[in-house]
Amino acid sequence: MKKLNNVKDSKPVLHIGKMLFALAMALQLLFITGCKHDDLSVALPNENIRPAADFVKNNYEMRLFYAALKKTGYTEQLNGAGPFTVFAPTDEAFNRLGIYSTADFDKMNVDSLKKIIGYHILPRKLMVNDMPSNGVDIRYATLSGSELYLSRAAFNPSGGEVNELYIDGVEVIRKDVVVANGVLHLIDNVMKPNFNKTVQQWLAEHADYSVFVKGLKKFNLWDQLATGETFTIFAPNNQALENVGITEASLNTLETGKYIGDRLFGAYILYGRHFFISDSQVFSLINSNGVYNYFLKKDSYYMNFGGGKLYPEFKLGYSLTLRSGNTVSDVILNSVTSNLTAKNDNLCSNGIVHHLISGLVRPEQAIKK
Amino acid sequence: MKNERLNQRMIKTGFLQWAWLFAVCFLLLNSGCVKVEYSKIDDPAYLRVFNNLNYIQTLGSKDNKVPFFCMLINPVLDANGIPTSAEIVGDFLDQRDAYAPPYPSHIGTSTSVNNPEYPGKENVLVGPILNGFDLSSWAQVPSGKMRIMFAYRPKNTVPFFQLENQLKKDILIDTVLNLTSKEVYTLHVLQKDFVTKRTGLLLRQEIFQKLPLSDSLTYVNFYNMSAKGYWEADKSLKAQDYLMASFQGGMKDEMNVFLSLYEDQSILSARAATIPGFKGKYIANVKLNTAISDVNPYVSFPVWASNTGNGITTNMWQRFDFFVPGMDVSNNPFYEASTDNGGNWVSVNCLQNGKVKMTSNDNAAILPNLLVNIHSGVNNPKTFATVNTIEVVNGRVYLTTIQRKYAPPIY
Repeated sequence: MKKLNNVKDSKPVLHIGKMLFALAMALQLLFITGCKHDDLSVALPNENIRPAADFVKNNYEMRLFYAALKKTGYTEQLNGAGPFTVFAPTDEAFNRLGIYSTADFDKMNVDSLKKIIGYHILPRKLMVNDMPSNGVDIRYATLSGSELYLSRAAFNPSGGEVNELYIDGVEVIRKDVVVANGVLHLIDNVMKPNFNKTVQQWLAEHADYSVFVKGLKKFNLWDQLATGETFTIFAPNNQALENVGITEASLNTLETGKYIGDRLFGAYILYGRHFFISDSQVFSLINSNGVYNYFLKKDSYYMNFGGGKLYPEFKLGYSLTLRSGNTVSDVILNSVTSNLTAKNDNLCSNGIVHHLISGLVRPEQAIKK
Repeated sequence: MKNERLNQRMIKTGFLQWAWLFAVCFLLLNSGCVKVEYSKIDDPAYLRVFNNLNYIQTLGSKDNKVPFFCMLINPVLDANGIPTSAEIVGDFLDQRDAYAPPYPSHIGTSTSVNNPEYPGKENVLVGPILNGFDLSSWAQVPSGKMRIMFAYRPKNTVPFFQLENQLKKDILIDTVLNLTSKEVYTLHVLQKDFVTKRTGLLLRQEIFQKLPLSDSLTYVNFYNMSAKGYWEADKSLKAQDYLMASFQGGMKDEMNVFLSLYEDQSILSARAATIPGFKGKYIANVKLNTAISDVNPYVSFPVWASNTGNGITTNMWQRFDFFVPGMDVSNNPFYEASTDNGGNWVSVNCLQNGKVKMTSNDNAAILPNLLVNIHSGVNNPKTFATVNTIEVVNGRVYLTTIQRKYAPPIY
């Protein structure tokens, strides 16, 4: 019995040895054959994808943008080698600026139009995933040479994913449209870069802010706007100032010595900050706080600034609330919600100008005591 | 008999086949060998670097320069003064974490390149075990005079020397340090004046590895490395970080520190039972100092102060109250959850992993427990005494824990 058992026991050893040997041989065979890739075939890239300019041409949502590209001679370049990133404003975006037909471009200076259109194109391929998550004011060089500001709200650190993208304060409404020589993003407004223009020059050039400009000059707030400091200006137009009882005629009779200029006109200037309206929306998404509160310069009055997507259109707007101080018991002087998205975010060399639909301070609220 | 012989032969052939297999494997493995050049630093000093300049991303601070650095030791500059290489590079040096653990555990638990300290995640030669203390959080650097630079860099993942040239010009600090061989140093990048925004370095030569410290006592020392004028400054100029609770506004230039030891860190309340004899016990005085690099004296408390500890593990936790001289726990005029005390009273709870919220009304910032509870030998957990440093910088409080080398776990 013992012997028999021994014989039985030895069989597995034999089996294992044989099997291992066979396995080792098979493994070596695999190694050798594994190196041959003669008939490996790679899928051919789809050749039917259009280059950027052709894509824009064939898309009826971007007819005006195509007209602008054609007028400024960018079509050929955009059909070339690339890579490009095109931030294409929709026709609706152009409409908001008063451009309704291709003929409207003929009234414009071609060189300035070319600079602005070139500002919408990056000489690189920039997909959403290439942009830093929760990056604010990331700058990218454009074809015009100067840089645009990109902010991407990707997630809230306390939980939750969001996915909003803004360039120069303009919302990107469709992202990552791949074209043959790059990528295209659809934007909701035309960007408004002013390149080397200061906020002062910008205001001086726009006649509908003439009363505001006159007020700034009268209270010695004007000259600072040409300096290298940074400003965010909430500019009320003439109609807006009339709402609070300030007109060109009334300004002529106003005695400067009686009024606090830093409140009456300084209330519209935010010093040392560079805010797009979208920044407020971005920060409310990424750290749940999109509000910025500050004391007016040389004054005890306190301002709350906050922006976001306003009901019912869910387009970007902002509100300003002026209080007599920063405690709960301080009275609210005025609160204005400004929702003309297309007129905001005028990027100048030393700051940003936003349009304000109503004035904040009546002259009698700024009398010196 | 016949069968047995057959059996043996079969076993022998089995061995032969095994031998062949081993030979083949040996050949395969051997042909894959490379020669490894090990790096070595002669006469090293041991250096750990913290970036105490902090920032938070808010609407109001979005235009501020982010203190995110590349540290360069003995840099080589080109004709335009742009660094082209350096002997030692500590890239992606981010603001420091609230907790600097005894072991560089950031390496295993992070997917980001941002480094909360140097060496931190850097793969460099680190310090040895000195007097029982594991210096694996200290990098070896050449001793003697060395030039050190902190260069601002954009917050992205591109290594410093691959950045465009225009981004490599912004140098915050460029100075010379003199390190002695075999000494242990911590280097702090600090803001020294809150009004003028002047920054600078503080190089501290540590002494813990030279002291006769007991392993049944936990040691801690305190520093206030805040910028001059921080606590006096208006609230609107300070970063609001609710996790820092009472520390947000900073503390006064001279403070007394009081220790309370609590019985059980599973009870998240500062009203819970304290260990007899350890409620609001005065332990130290701390003065604002960003200029002199002296080591503040270590104070200690026993690891086994609590009756519930069994000699292997204890559940106790610590609370430190910082009061302005003249004030203490018994005459504290503030409400227990009052966080805005004009710098007169700030407090910090040290329990669990520092990532918990107290259930009681409380004004304390929260840091990890000073005692390390970890699986060692057959005990899981086992409590270890440590040597700690608590540093207050502007509106923040930081804990650095140093631990002795301990036995690995047995599973």
